[in-house]
Amino acid sequence: MPDDGAPLTESAGGTKDVGDVSVRELSELRDLLFGAERRQIDELRRRLDTAELTPEELAEKLPQAIVQRSARDRQLGIALAPTVENAIRESVRRNPREIATAIFPVLGPAIRKAIAETMSGLVNTINRAIEYSFSPQGIRWRIESWRTGVPFAQIVMRHALVYRVEQVFLVHAQTGLLLAHVPDGSLGDADLISSMLTAIGDFVNDSFEARKTGELRAFAAGDLTVLVEPGPQANVAAVVRGTPPETLPVKLQTTLEAIHLQWCDPLTSFDGNAAAFETTRPLLDECLETVLATDKRAKATGVKWYTWAIPVLLIAAGVVWWMTRGTRQWSAALARLDTEPGIAVIRSERSGGKWHITGMRDALAVNPGLLMASRGVDTNDVVAHWEPYISTEPTLVLARARQVLAPPGGVTLSLKSDTLHATGRAPAFWIVRAEGLAPALAGVGAVDLSHVTAGLPADMEPIAAEIERLRALFAAGSDALDQTALNTVATLAARYRILVEAATKNRYDLTMRIVGRADPTGAESNNLALSRRRATVVRDRLVSLGVVASRLTIDAIGSNDPLPADTPAERARLNRSASFAIQAQPSRTTNVAERGR
Amino acid sequence: MIQKKVCMVGVHGTGKTSLVQRFVQSIFSAKYHSTVGVKIDRKSVKVGDTEVNLLLWDVEGRSADQEIPASYLRGAHAVFYVADGTRRETFEQLFSLQDLARSAAGDVPSIVALNKYDLKHQWVVSAADGAKLIAGGFHALTTSAKTGEGVEDAFRWLAKATLSTSVTQTVQPPARHGN
Repeated sequence: MPDDGAPLTESAGGTKDVGDVSVRELSELRDLLFGAERRQIDELRRRLDTAELTPEELAEKLPQAIVQRSARDRQLGIALAPTVENAIRESVRRNPREIATAIFPVLGPAIRKAIAETMSGLVNTINRAIEYSFSPQGIRWRIESWRTGVPFAQIVMRHALVYRVEQVFLVHAQTGLLLAHVPDGSLGDADLISSMLTAIGDFVNDSFEARKTGELRAFAAGDLTVLVEPGPQANVAAVVRGTPPETLPVKLQTTLEAIHLQWCDPLTSFDGNAAAFETTRPLLDECLETVLATDKRAKATGVKWYTWAIPVLLIAAGVVWWMTRGTRQWSAALARLDTEPGIAVIRSERSGGKWHITGMRDALAVNPGLLMASRGVDTNDVVAHWEPYISTEPTLVLARARQVLAPPGGVTLSLKSDTLHATGRAPAFWIVRAEGLAPALAGVGAVDLSHVTAGLPADMEPIAAEIERLRALFAAGSDALDQTALNTVATLAARYRILVEAATKNRYDLTMRIVGRADPTGAESNNLALSRRRATVVRDRLVSLGVVASRLTIDAIGSNDPLPADTPAERARLNRSASFAIQAQPSRTTNVAERGR
Repeated sequence: MIQKKVCMVGVHGTGKTSLVQRFVQSIFSAKYHSTVGVKIDRKSVKVGDTEVNLLLWDVEGRSADQEIPASYLRGAHAVFYVADGTRRETFEQLFSLQDLARSAAGDVPSIVALNKYDLKHQWVVSAADGAKLIAGGFHALTTSAKTGEGVEDAFRWLAKATLSTSVTQTVQPPARHGN
C-alpha cells in the first residue's frame, strides 16, 4: 500500500520535493490521463492483498459455499455441530417455547408411537392372562393363587415369564448380511438365517404394506418366538424359547442403540467385512438370558400331601364352622343373658326350627331381645316367654331406688349390703319423703339419710339467698321504679339467670315469687292494690330484661306480714317494696333410670 | 471373512435352481420360492487369500413382465443373471431384468450365465448377441448346470468383481440410482 500510494502522495505534496521537476510533471500527467483506472486497480490490489470478504460478499456466496462443501465431505457438519448444539441449548435456555413449537409436529407422532408400543406390550400381557384364565392350567393356577394368597395375575406372570433367549443376530439392515451372532461356536448357517430373516421382513412388508404401520417385529412358531428390533443401519433379532417378557424388546432396542452409537462408522462403511463387529459380541451376550420360574419344577414333580390336604381340611373346618355358627351364637347369647342382672333363664330348647326360651325378668333389666340381636342371634327365630319378677340384685335395687325416690341433682345414692345411703343436699320435703318410701323398696332393709342436709344444692343456695335479700324500694304511695330500684331489678335479673342455669344442671324446677308490699299508712284495700301494682311493675321489668314470664309469680300482701326493722320509719321504708322468694324443687320430668335401656 | 449379497435373477425355466442346487450350500427348501418369493443360499469362493461368502438371494423366477420385489434387490453387491441359451426369449428378457435390477440395486457388478451349454446343438445365442451383452455392461459366460462347466468361474468372477468395486460402490451409492 505505501508503495502504491507513493506516486499519489508525491503528486499531492510535491512542493517539498523541488529537485526532480520532470518526474513530478510526468506523474501529474499520468494522474490526469489514468486517475480513475489507477484508483480501480488500487482497490482491486487492496482486495487481493487483504483477501478478506465484506459481509455483503459473504452473504452472496455463503449458500453456494455450503452446498458445495456439504457435497464434498462431512467437514462442514463436523465443524458446525458444536456451534449448532450451543445455539440450540441457548435457545432452549432463553425461550423453550420456540423449540417446543418447532419440534411439536415431530414430537407428537414419536410419543404416540412410544405409547402405542407400550400399550401393545400391555395388551399382550392381558391377553395372556385372559387366555390362561379359561384353560385347565388357568384353573390350576387359580387354585394355587387361592391356596398361597398370591394374586392370580402374579401367579400367571410367574409361570408365563419363563423364557430363554437362545440366539441373537446383529444384521446389516440394507443387505441382510450378518454382522455378529451369539452365542459363540458354530456360526453354522447364521449368515443364511440372517439373510432369510431380512427376506422374510421384506416379504411381510411388501405383501401386507406393513411399512405404513411399522416393521415386522415378531413372529412365533409354537414355543419359539423371533423378536426383531429394527434400526436405521442394523437390526437385532433374538430367538426366544418360551414367552418373552415385554421388557425384552426394550432391552434389544437399547443394545441396538448402543451399537449404532459406538459402531457408527463401521456400520456406515460396511462392505461385507464383519470383522469390525466382533467387538459387539459382549453387548449381544448380555441379551442372552435364561429366566426360569424358581419353583416351577419342584411343584410340577413332587406334589406333597399337605399341598392338597391342608386346603381340604381348611375347607372342611370352614363348612363345619359355618354350619354350627347359629348354635354357637345362640349358646353365647344365652350364657350372656344368664349373667345379666334381673334376668333368670329357666329353660331353653330348639324345636320346630325356632329357639324357645322361658325365664323371669325384672322390669328394670335389659331388653333380652336387643341383647340377643347384638350377639348375632336372629330374633325372628326366637320365641321367648318372660315372667315378671322383682330382682334384689344390688344394681337393680339401686336402679329401682333412683326411679322411685327421684333424688335431686345434689344427692348420690349407694347401696351397702341392704342399706340405702344418700349423701348431698336436698329440699327438706324430699328428705321426709325418702325416709318414708325407701324402706318399702324391695331389697332395701334400711335407709341412712344422715348425710343429706336440707337446702338447695351448693351452687344454687348462695345465689338464692342473695336474691331473697334484695328489695326493690318505692316512694310512698308510688309504684314507679326510680333509678336505685331499676338497678336492683337489673342485679336481680342477672342473678336469677345464673340460678336458672344451675337449676337446669341440677334438675330442679325453679320459680320466683315477687312479693309486693306497702307501708301500713292508709286504707288496707288501697295498700293491697298498690302492692300488686308494685309487684307487677317489677315483674314486667324483669320480663323486659329477658326473664321468662312463666317462671315468675306475683303475690300482693299489702302491709300484712311486714318485713322487720328496728324503727317504725325504717320498717315503713322497707315495706314500700317488692321482695323475692325462690321456689325450687327436684324436677319430676327428667328423673332417673341411669341404666341405658 | 467377507460376505456379499448377490441377487440371482432369471425367468422361469432357465436352470437357475439347478445351478443353485448343485453348486451352493442351501438349508432352505425350494418351497420358499412359492411362499416367501426368495430363497437364500450361500456360495463360498476363495479370491486369493480372501474367502468370500456370497449370500445368494435366489429370487423367484417369474416371467419378465412381472416385477421382482425391489426390496429383495436392495443393498445387493452384485447381480447374477441367468438365461437359457437354448431359449431366445430368456436372452431378450435380460435387458428388461437389468433395468429392474439397476433401479433397485444401482449399477453393481453383474454377470450373465448363459446356461444349458450342454445342449450346444440347440444353442440360439450368437456371437453378435454376446457383443450386445458386453455393450450392455454385462460380463457374460456360458455355463452348464449339468456338467458344471463355467459355474465356478462365474461365481469366482462375481466375487472378485464385488471385492474390486466395493470401495467406489459404498462411497457414492445414491448417484447410481438415476436409471
